[in-house]
Amino acid sequence: MTFFITLLLVLAIGSLFVVPTLEDIRQNIWNAEMRYSLKLSLGTGLISTILVMFFALPIGYALSRFHFWGKGFVKTIIDMPIAFPELVLGLCLLLLFGNTPVGKLLSALGLTFVFTKKGIVAAQFFTALPYAIRIMKSTFDYINPRIEFVSRSLGYSMAETFKNISLPLAKNGILASTVISFARCIGTFGTVLILAGGSFMKTEILPITLYLNISYGNMGMALTSGIVLMVVSFIAIFIFEKTEVGL
Amino acid sequence: MMKRLLIVAVAVVFLSGASVGIAGDLMIFSGAGLIKPMEEMRANFAKTYNVTVDVHYGSSGEIFAAVAAGQPCDVLIPGAEKYTEDAVKNGWVIGDTVTKLVLHVPLIAVPKDNPANVKGFMDLVRSGVRVAIGDPKAPAIGRVARKMLKKAGVWEQATKNITVYAPTVNQLLIYVALKQVDAAIIWGDLVTWAEGKGKLEVVPIEKQYNIIKTIPTAVCTKATHKDLAYKFNEYIASDEGLSIWTKWGFEPCKK
Repeated sequence: MTFFITLLLVLAIGSLFVVPTLEDIRQNIWNAEMRYSLKLSLGTGLISTILVMFFALPIGYALSRFHFWGKGFVKTIIDMPIAFPELVLGLCLLLLFGNTPVGKLLSALGLTFVFTKKGIVAAQFFTALPYAIRIMKSTFDYINPRIEFVSRSLGYSMAETFKNISLPLAKNGILASTVISFARCIGTFGTVLILAGGSFMKTEILPITLYLNISYGNMGMALTSGIVLMVVSFIAIFIFEKTEVGL
Repeated sequence: MMKRLLIVAVAVVFLSGASVGIAGDLMIFSGAGLIKPMEEMRANFAKTYNVTVDVHYGSSGEIFAAVAAGQPCDVLIPGAEKYTEDAVKNGWVIGDTVTKLVLHVPLIAVPKDNPANVKGFMDLVRSGVRVAIGDPKAPAIGRVARKMLKKAGVWEQATKNITVYAPTVNQLLIYVALKQVDAAIIWGDLVTWAEGKGKLEVVPIEKQYNIIKTIPTAVCTKATHKDLAYKFNEYIASDEGLSIWTKWGFEPCKK
């Protein structure tokens, strides 16, 4: 059974690489649209990942170490975006950042998310955050709290313990979480489509390029963006496997 | 067990390589904007002839490319005549089956209460009005919108107002309904959709600016069920078919 599914997957992935000609790929990878979308994808993906990790670290730590009122509720809400479709998340964000007091307040602060590149980052952030938090939480779950108690008893403050003991021990988990977040950010489609609009050469990231070119009927270009996305996630999963952290 | 599965897997791969899908009796490729009347007609036709009818919806460019790539299709119904004309030239559809069905009339959709006070086509280029159009390369309405703006000689000006080029028509509706834009150029039939009801208002585009499209239908040369395909092709252009089109806001072509 395992082999059967693996075989099918290998064939499916393989066909993405076999169908287009090399010449096609070479031309497509250097065309202006692809370069724009690749650059925008990497840029927004990087910013989103940094933001995601900035929030995922403390949240994951808090969820793992502390018991507080309403923790179950918080966990459920934070995990929810994993379960519901990206399109729904995109619609929720569009509603929130649209004509609501929250949206107006953010706009006044210069944070306009609808139809903008900032919107891409916001969409990626909310899509990837739950995954990062999950990995960080399980990473901290595996670190024995007694080590932290010992550190506290030897004179480190709570913050110092976190910085000098917990963080270095969580190194692999942080790496894994960063890599998965980045891959998730780069691959975000539905949320970006709805919130940022998915406009050609404006808010166009790799998955949008793929989708746009399917609707243009330009298969060569669509396949090329598919390959680029595949390579990114392959590298991400490869690094993730190397770090050997369970979800 | 394992071995047999592998044999099946290999067989499946080879079969699918020949692009033989496990389809129903009839395969229709239709423009995504036609989904409402199409679904109703599909159900009626399937019931009358006791057959299964599968409809693949996509942007006109997408379904046209699918036919070009040789995907199995019996009847092609794109959003504009340009596609059937090209398909006839390339020998993908049978010339004398091409039938004009209904008119596709673009208009301007604005949010309820018309916040930017859009009264006509030229208001779209007034400064400060946020406009959404379809991606000029993807859905037919995007290309038509650009054509109209170019014809009026205001495309350059308009691009300053256009905040989003949506890859799908449905996005345009959402953005208007949620007041994320002040106006969008959209097909008239789309705004009769129940979803938009009460959330948006309609501003007609003046005759001199408007470009009205005709929706055609045609039987594919490679249709595997020619007999049924002809029947479906005639059914959607019949009086009964046209009454369904009208119900969903399309205007029948004058015969």
